[in-house]
Amino acid sequence: MALPLPTGLTQNEVSFLAEMEMVTVVPRQRLDSIDLLGGKTPQLRPPHRAQLPLWLALLLKKQRRANIVPPAWMHPASLAEIIHRETKEDPEAFSPPPPPPSRALYAQPGTARRLNHQHQPSFLDDLTQTTLDSQQQDPNSILSPPFLPSNVAESPAGYLPYHWLEIAEALLTHAGDDMPAPAGEVRSLLRDLVEVRAAKMRSSTSALEGFGDAWLTLRGVGAMELAENRAFLAGLVDGVRKIGASAEATRREEEEEARRGGEYGGDGDEDSDEDMGL
Amino acid sequence: MDIDDILASLDPHPPSSSSPSLIPPETRDLQALTRHWVAERSTPELLSWPSDGLFERINDKIKRQIEKVEEMTGDMDPKTNFALIVIQTELERWKFLVRSYLRCRVGKIDKHLLHYISNDALRTRMSPIEEAYARRHQLLLHNHYLNSFLGTFPPAMQNLNDTAGNISMIDSPDLDSAVFIRLLKNAEIECHGVDVDGVLTGKEGDIVILRWSDAKGLVERGDAELV
Repeated sequence: MALPLPTGLTQNEVSFLAEMEMVTVVPRQRLDSIDLLGGKTPQLRPPHRAQLPLWLALLLKKQRRANIVPPAWMHPASLAEIIHRETKEDPEAFSPPPPPPSRALYAQPGTARRLNHQHQPSFLDDLTQTTLDSQQQDPNSILSPPFLPSNVAESPAGYLPYHWLEIAEALLTHAGDDMPAPAGEVRSLLRDLVEVRAAKMRSSTSALEGFGDAWLTLRGVGAMELAENRAFLAGLVDGVRKIGASAEATRREEEEEARRGGEYGGDGDEDSDEDMGL
Repeated sequence: MDIDDILASLDPHPPSSSSPSLIPPETRDLQALTRHWVAERSTPELLSWPSDGLFERINDKIKRQIEKVEEMTGDMDPKTNFALIVIQTELERWKFLVRSYLRCRVGKIDKHLLHYISNDALRTRMSPIEEAYARRHQLLLHNHYLNSFLGTFPPAMQNLNDTAGNISMIDSPDLDSAVFIRLLKNAEIECHGVDVDGVLTGKEGDIVILRWSDAKGLVERGDAELV
């Protein structure tokens, strides 16, 4: 067996992904730039902050070479706000994902541009027009987690990034002393959050109950929550599809017939109109 | 602080974070590799081998990095020693990604060997090495069957790709399996369900569970990615 794992990322693979997230560190020692496969690391000069991938930050932390600045959303106030939103304001949905990050432009002071946006060519462009043009064609120019800076010190408070649970777990385990509040307090808030969201995850499946619907949207869900429930959700969706396969085939045939009837007969009755609309 | 640092701090060029769209090519390679890996791990069928030479480039880089590690192991200065640990850790992470990606593909090819080699369009999804592997694997397997039991059957029944009676012997992956995608742009998705079909108006950042056959077009256009 070439790969004895089920389809879809497992929890271990998800935490591996989360370790690619960028975090902010405050170095305690000088460290020259290292030429890595993923690009050069910034030169570390205490006390200048630097952004490093989580795996490297944890390595430095374990060797006491750096402290990790926890992302703003991990602050107790921010976590409490998220819990409030999840329980009181919108007890049905997950809290929304962080807004796409924007950056001010060096070339045009006063202009902000989305970090993640498909580039719109205009006369206001950067000095780097040619590079941008080549990137525009490339779907990889759209960043997504874990490559968005959603866990650095400057990332907005009050939003859970996609890899929130893994990041929080890693930071609490290895950098508990760097937390803005006692690690226990952060941990208990996180536990509340996990429970609130786990309940939502479970109730989201009741929306699937009569899974006649063709999709299920889980905006704001986290990677680990998804990994935990992946087998269940996918199994449920696939199971319903298999049970309803013959009903679906019949329905499609009928629709096809109604459409054909509409075309040839010319009398567009209400049913076929509806079908056309779909 | 030495003179280089002072010069660096006076550098008139913008720091990388202020020119948003300019992603360094190394990071883009890593993102592309990661995305390919996640996609391959999440879909029921084999996806196309990246045609832009991504893996050739990555393999070259990994090879060069291994040589560098070997060079650096020579001088055991404690300072470069730590850099060496970092380099090796990162190297292992990349190697894991590449290995897991390739194994996942081989796993899919093994599962539906004939499906992928009997169809021209599907065959082009494989890299030349994968195709050679699949053909060889099928040859060995079929010969083994022939030697052990298939040889005693009438010649007309010795094929493994019969389509008699409108039922194909070739097993194919279930393209309607549920997958999880994240929309990278606002998009309208035509979805097929059991009771009802419909058009989902999705917002950027939405995580949607739907059938792979519905999601495929979006993913190929780069409007969505698998998660």
